[in-house]
Amino acid sequence: MLLLLGVVSAASWTRLGPALLASVVSIACFDFLFVPPYYTFAVRNTDYILTFGVMLAVAVAMSRLTGRVREEAADASERECRTTAAFALSRELADAPPERLVPIALAHIGAAVEIQPAMLPPDAVGGLDAIAVRIAAAWAVEHGLSAGAGTRHCAEADALVVPVRTAASRLGVLVFDAPAPRATPSRSARLTAEAMADQLAVALERAGLAGEHDRARAEVEAERLRTALLSSLSHDLRTPLAGIEGAASSLLQGADSLPAPVRRDLADAIVEESRRMTRLVSNLLDMVRVEAGALAVRKEWQPLEEALGVALLRLEDGLANHPVTVRLPEELPLVPIDGLLIEQVFINLLENAVRHTPAGTPVVVGAEAAPGGVIVAVSDRGPGIPAGSEQDVFRKFYRAATREGATGSSGLGLTICRGIIQAHGGRIWTEHETGGATFRFFLPFDGPPLPSPPPEAAG
Amino acid sequence: MVPGALVLVIEDEPQMRRFLRAMLRGNGYQLAEAETAREGLAQAAGRNPEVILLDLGLPDADGVDVARKLRRLTRAAIIVISARGKEQDKVAALDNGADDYLTKPFGAPELLARIRVALRRAATPDDGPPIEVFTSGELRVDFVRREVLRGGEAVHLTPTEYKLLTALIRNSGRVVTHRRLLHEVWGVNSEHQTHYLRVYMAQLRHKLEADPTRPRLLTTEAGVGYRLLAP
Repeated sequence: MLLLLGVVSAASWTRLGPALLASVVSIACFDFLFVPPYYTFAVRNTDYILTFGVMLAVAVAMSRLTGRVREEAADASERECRTTAAFALSRELADAPPERLVPIALAHIGAAVEIQPAMLPPDAVGGLDAIAVRIAAAWAVEHGLSAGAGTRHCAEADALVVPVRTAASRLGVLVFDAPAPRATPSRSARLTAEAMADQLAVALERAGLAGEHDRARAEVEAERLRTALLSSLSHDLRTPLAGIEGAASSLLQGADSLPAPVRRDLADAIVEESRRMTRLVSNLLDMVRVEAGALAVRKEWQPLEEALGVALLRLEDGLANHPVTVRLPEELPLVPIDGLLIEQVFINLLENAVRHTPAGTPVVVGAEAAPGGVIVAVSDRGPGIPAGSEQDVFRKFYRAATREGATGSSGLGLTICRGIIQAHGGRIWTEHETGGATFRFFLPFDGPPLPSPPPEAAG
Repeated sequence: MVPGALVLVIEDEPQMRRFLRAMLRGNGYQLAEAETAREGLAQAAGRNPEVILLDLGLPDADGVDVARKLRRLTRAAIIVISARGKEQDKVAALDNGADDYLTKPFGAPELLARIRVALRRAATPDDGPPIEVFTSGELRVDFVRREVLRGGEAVHLTPTEYKLLTALIRNSGRVVTHRRLLHEVWGVNSEHQTHYLRVYMAQLRHKLEADPTRPRLLTTEAGVGYRLLAP
């Protein structure tokens, strides 16, 4: 019995091989010490052969049993790890904004599986380099099951492909490159990856649904604004029209009797009011395009100076009472922008500055390179943005109290700026500061590939 | 006194025709009017105008197409009229035979300036002797000595800058599309490399303009091309 204990303990600590060795050794000891003739390995009674057989069988059975217990314990601890990892992932996914979901999930899955996966949308699968991996990925997308290394489908591929999908939609695949042939992720690693991929899929789908909810709310908001627009518009359009009609009819009536300076004044008024209406109408058209998402952005790499130059010249009359200083560093890189649209942003920001600051105060336009793009700033020395309104000023039809005598604003200029900058993949903001208002916008270097520097023309 | 040049107006909107009629007659030009593209083409062939004002938004035909047909019919200067935001149409019309453009709404001074430039160009035949000296504002270019002066001071230009300036001077007062400038300076294979043009234009402005952020001499026609101030 004591010997059997040795066998069991050997079996419980080690694998089948050592357990078998231990049982053979203990049978040999038993034979040598306790089976007549003592102190030899010879066996006289054939019954003992049976005993040896039973002992061997018990040893094998014990080692199998203990082995399974050990495996289950290991499995349980791995399951626990997996559950913990899955829990950590789901907690982070719950708080993450939509665009962070994939990076977060990839980091967690990479840590859990110990191979960093790449996420590909379903239609990008065809771009994979290795043919076998491409086939595995296509299979995984189509069937919604894992494929590739370590699975039953397309096992010859050098990568494991795990689908990211929900019942309703196929969102993509995770591709785990096997670091070396045969070093494929284990079965349990694959299960972990699949579970986490499902979590990601659910989170992505939820974000999509949340987006739809936001859209519905935006539509209600849009409807409310349309009503506000109509009432505000009828006022804004009628005012200049009344001026034009009045001035023109006075000119007609007094064609011969009015002194020349008065005639000139009236003609000036007509031109001025017409321009105001033109501005208002083009603002409205821009707004409609921004709103409808119909803003076609044709990006070309170009110096900011040109778009700014066009804006400064177009606004020349309006800027007569506000000296504008331009501070563009010479080494400022080219930026991928739609010149016509960015010109409009400059015009709106400059008009905004003029409208809200006393005559004679300066306006500064500056720009500097920033990581991944360029930041442009338009600063004035007026009363500044009231604390708490930093977001509101970009709202449609938001109108700050204007200084006396200033031409009214449409309340659309900054909203259009925001639409244009966002369509460029950038960001516009203002911060509460003393001594004036500063609007900044960031233009990222994304767009067509950065072209080579221009060569000197030949000849 | 010689009667004024004949200007053909092809425009479907009565208000615009009324404004153009008053403006042109008041400034001594003779006038022909057409309401449709078909009528316009017929008049261009029959009356031989010196300048054609063509609205790109005619209801009966594509404006760019009309410009192309007019160019085949006549040597008259074609000035297209279109709304803001239709820059691509303008570029297409300019690349298809139009000489210049006006953006609605425009004032009388702009219109008259465009017509003056168009008539001046008509008076200098393409195969005439090349000009030797060009002056506009503070700029003076002596083509014989290959010398560029700004306010009397010599300016050093790279060969490409000089080529670009020359291309603009050949069309002074008139808009030149990005594509055409790229073609003339860098060759046919670089027609889409607009950043070449923009970088060199910026350099040229820094050398020739008093304030390169408010160019007077080398103006930008947003989304279309560039224009060199007429002498």
